[in-house]
Amino acid sequence: MTTTRDPLPVHKSSGPTCGSCRQGCAVDLVRCTRCGLPETYETIEFDAQGVCNICRQNEFKKEQVDWAARGNEFAALVEQYRGKHDYDCIIPYSGGKDSTFTLYHMVKEYKVKPLVVQFNHGFMRPNLLKNNERTFKALGVDVLSFTPNWRVVRRVMLEALIRKGDFCWHCHTGIFSYPMHVSIKFNVPFIVWGEPSSEYTAYYDYRDNEIEEVDETRFNRFINLGITAEDMAGMIKKDFDFDPRDLAPYTYPPMRDLKRIKCRSVCLGSFIPWDARKQSELITKELGWQGDQVEGMPWSAWPYEKIECYMQGVRDYIKFLKRGYSRTSQMTALDLRNKRTTKDQADLLVRDFEGRKPPSLKLFLDYLSITEEQFHEIVLATVVPPHKPDFATIGDAPQTWDYDHWYREKQPLK
Amino acid sequence: MTVFVGIVDLDMSNLRSVANAVSAVGYDSRIVRKPQELEGVSHLILPGVGSFGVAMAHMRAQELYEPIRAFAAAGKPVLGICLGMQLLSSSGDEGGPSDGLGLVAGRVVRIDPAKVPAIPHVGWNEVRIKRDHPVFAKVKTGVDFYFVHSFNFGCERAEDLLGVAGYGDVDVTAIVGKGSVLGFQFHPEKSQANGLRLLENFCDWDGRC
Repeated sequence: MTTTRDPLPVHKSSGPTCGSCRQGCAVDLVRCTRCGLPETYETIEFDAQGVCNICRQNEFKKEQVDWAARGNEFAALVEQYRGKHDYDCIIPYSGGKDSTFTLYHMVKEYKVKPLVVQFNHGFMRPNLLKNNERTFKALGVDVLSFTPNWRVVRRVMLEALIRKGDFCWHCHTGIFSYPMHVSIKFNVPFIVWGEPSSEYTAYYDYRDNEIEEVDETRFNRFINLGITAEDMAGMIKKDFDFDPRDLAPYTYPPMRDLKRIKCRSVCLGSFIPWDARKQSELITKELGWQGDQVEGMPWSAWPYEKIECYMQGVRDYIKFLKRGYSRTSQMTALDLRNKRTTKDQADLLVRDFEGRKPPSLKLFLDYLSITEEQFHEIVLATVVPPHKPDFATIGDAPQTWDYDHWYREKQPLK
Repeated sequence: MTVFVGIVDLDMSNLRSVANAVSAVGYDSRIVRKPQELEGVSHLILPGVGSFGVAMAHMRAQELYEPIRAFAAAGKPVLGICLGMQLLSSSGDEGGPSDGLGLVAGRVVRIDPAKVPAIPHVGWNEVRIKRDHPVFAKVKTGVDFYFVHSFNFGCERAEDLLGVAGYGDVDVTAIVGKGSVLGFQFHPEKSQANGLRLLENFCDWDGRC
């Protein structure tokens, strides 16, 4: 695998622009004067200077959070749970940069014995699997991996796409609920996640100066898209034959069960200032962790970002169609906030790479047994105004090196 | 400390919501209707809906008056909720003057209707915490709790007044506490996350301040 060249996507026409991107977008969007995130971004607000709340809360993170005190608080928390159960903590793990760093940091800095818990969303990439094996063996940890029923995954992906324009419901609910079930089953009441959501949205604002508890409130606030597993069961039962227990991995366990074991579930990034780029460099150096090409992104700018899922390109493409921005904008926004790039360089990357149709879309349509026309119709119903997608001007993103390794579905969804 | 919560039934209260809330925060409970049922109870909750005088009469008829006082005197945690908080007082006017449990010095009198928009004081209201207490851990001052009441607990000793809520021109007593005894005028079991946090903290509390 190489990530040395960044092939440019195919452009269809210059089309109308929205200031930053060249194509696919039919209206101008108001954007943060600092990071460039648009008004369609989740939880965004702009102040009198036109600077967004995500930028402002990150200023607070850098300048006003007492990270030394937070570090002490975390050390005390680790000691509170150390040696009392079969494992000192659970580390939910995808193998991406954040969970790999979290696992590395907990093992090396805090010398804990963790149980690594992995929820397999169904789209793990070859490079990720190699990274995982290398990391687990290098760190010497126990790993529990769970893969949910693919037939059910296909159906709930379709339902979530239709209702919310976001097919990742099974992945996000599973990732955040399954480790909680494991916590109860294995009686390991301390769970350490990686990146806090305050890094990129304002559902939890750094300026509140509180620890972001990864609990049912957070789960219901934005993880599950407002659809509980029970809701989902009701939504699909009219045309889909399943056992109600098939949705158990997506339910949040009862509060009572978590309280009984005195469960505490927090993000490491609430206690140390999160820096994805630096942390990626560290795990690359210490664990031989490798980045990857990601559809619709420039391949050399952020090779560490979102390497864990081969449907990432589709997710980002849908985001662009719905909201007029995508992963490249999010990454340039982070770099602008951290003063690691200039507005001109950021605009260039967004213009050249954002909003291209990924090759994986074809696979995705087969998973859901829908046509591209049906896909457009579904996504159009969930567009966030004032953005309007312009399908006619959208070009194609290049294939990544491992495209041919990705699962092809031959059976229709039923 | 093995936590087992007793919920006092004076034959007039809605106990289910309190029992459900205790269960939600991870603890087991038992309904206490007679003195023998206090056996094995580590934490006692006195819920309350109804009238002061009737509640005290029931408590005496059920022979729970002295056992509850003895429970508190042993330093075990006691929590009064709404009318249950008012019963902790020296006396109350509702339904004619009656003596209370006398665990927190003070008198319960009707809120002066001339000073408030309406009686009862019902709905969500901000509670300003005036003194620190182990049961307030991770609960901020100024957050909302759910109230329904017409009478107000006037503390005799300023140090027993732990929290207030502004209503019209009155600062109603929202929290009282003395030693291992605590009272909430609001309903923690109906007050969402902050209420459940208080109940959990109460169950985790050993009664010492």
